[in-house]
Amino acid sequence: MNDGVPDDVKNEIFAALRFGDGEVERKGGREWPLSGDEYRRYGRQLIMPEVGLAGQMKLKNASVLIVGVGGLGCPAAAYLAGAGVGTIGLVDADDVEVSNLHRQILHGTAKVGMSKVESAVLYINGLNDEVQCIPHHERIFPENALGIISQYDVVLDCTDTPASRYLISDSCVLLRKPLVSASALRTEGQLMVLNNPPRPAGDVHGGPCYRCIFPKPPPAASVVTCGEGGILGPVVGTMGVLQSLEALKVIIATSSEEDTPMELDEIDAQQQQQQQRKKADPPNLLLFSSFSKPMFRSIRLRSRRADCAACSAQASVTVESLNSGSLDYVQFCGVSSPVAALQPSERISVKSFAQLIADSEQEVHFGRPLAAPPVVLDVREKVQFDLCSLKGSINIPYSVISSTDPSATGPSATWVDELRRIPLDQALYIICRLGNDSQLTVKRFRELALDEGGRRRIVDVAGGLKAWRDKVDRDFPEY
Amino acid sequence: MSISSSDTPSTYFTILYFAAASDITKKRSETLTAPVHVSQLFTLLDKKYPGLKDKVLCSSAITVNLEYVDVDESMSDEEGLVIKAGDEVAIIPPVSSG
Repeated sequence: MNDGVPDDVKNEIFAALRFGDGEVERKGGREWPLSGDEYRRYGRQLIMPEVGLAGQMKLKNASVLIVGVGGLGCPAAAYLAGAGVGTIGLVDADDVEVSNLHRQILHGTAKVGMSKVESAVLYINGLNDEVQCIPHHERIFPENALGIISQYDVVLDCTDTPASRYLISDSCVLLRKPLVSASALRTEGQLMVLNNPPRPAGDVHGGPCYRCIFPKPPPAASVVTCGEGGILGPVVGTMGVLQSLEALKVIIATSSEEDTPMELDEIDAQQQQQQQRKKADPPNLLLFSSFSKPMFRSIRLRSRRADCAACSAQASVTVESLNSGSLDYVQFCGVSSPVAALQPSERISVKSFAQLIADSEQEVHFGRPLAAPPVVLDVREKVQFDLCSLKGSINIPYSVISSTDPSATGPSATWVDELRRIPLDQALYIICRLGNDSQLTVKRFRELALDEGGRRRIVDVAGGLKAWRDKVDRDFPEY
Repeated sequence: MSISSSDTPSTYFTILYFAAASDITKKRSETLTAPVHVSQLFTLLDKKYPGLKDKVLCSSAITVNLEYVDVDESMSDEEGLVIKAGDEVAIIPPVSSG
């Protein structure tokens, strides 16, 4: 066709216009649903019967929300972007820290200090500029959850607190969005596809929600974060990659009927039977236990709970209760009780503690030692103690201390006996990583009568080794 | 460590401890005497590991032979589920970090 416009210019214009299901690129009179670049880019998955052209078009038209751009969200975002998901939303309020980099693969050394969402958008744009990224530089709260989640088709929960897990699940039930939920800690991971199919609350054909599987949150004191418990990069990476896989499967399996529900009289008996079969197929919980054999276990989950607070006919979680703030997720999940209040005489600042050590290192003062070296008990776990510790400190892990029952009869634990042999005029100084376990230890030592009825001082080094590094010794390692 | 049920003696069931459950029990798995009614499991484990019920079991998913079981529902069900010799039980606390 001679319209006076050079072919290469026309191609560029058409390439810029290719968007949406109905629009096609026109070249040489033929119309193709994907651009030449897209055929080449996605060729290796397009030729698979599980994807095909129809699957690729669904991916292109799909929008996925990733809540949390950390160890799970990074690999999930990378694979979803690579596969050609049209729109990816990213929610995170945090900035990249150097301790993230061993597992959060979208961020790099040069991005430390940058917001995680900005870093992720840069990575995704570099990987695949066909993908539209929507950054949400904020934490997810009851006040913003419905507004953000409503803009997307599928949600990935890549967050790190029980409160956000319940909030995201409840929001997905209310907005009828399938939820791919994963988590990881230390050497283990969990993966579930929830609220799939995303039928309205009370519809038994819908998939169970997070509350159906875990109706009661774990006690706040037992919740361990990756910062406290540790995490192996490939473990959380595996879970994030599997999350992206499940999201692709959910998108590709979406039928157009799901989007536009038919009138009741249009559904014939055969379709009703299919619905019945859907009900009989509850989802799985995939357990990854990387240091056990076998590494993977698949648990057959239950269907929706008849008394579920979110997805049953008697649900108490509603759009109104969420928006009004009457649902307090932080309170529901409990707040870790503030550490036992100690008397001022039971605490010492790191500066005074450093002075105490310095005094004891002065050999003589008018012919006598100024002070005996203080007895310093470091209550971190042994593996942390082995990383770095104060000179002369003794390691008794808090897990050992807390599992020693003060009311138990019979012979006391060896470590208790050894501490009793220390002269009474010697105070025991307790230090830990952040200054919480040390306070609990002071309290527990009193319960174990290690203060010998008040004749021995037991002192918490306030703020722990973090304060020591911040205020006394800048060279003490931070980890 | 092998935790396959084929090693289990004929009067025992295997119990697997994940996440916080393995922190408290200091074990990934062990064998216990069968049979046990599911509704008795928490009491039995709490006796063996004081505090385990409140700290872990009440908020965990419990499975028998890779199938989720509802402990509350089986409490009210006298027929209920009985853990038999050779069964594999798992204690799966929710993990929220990522």
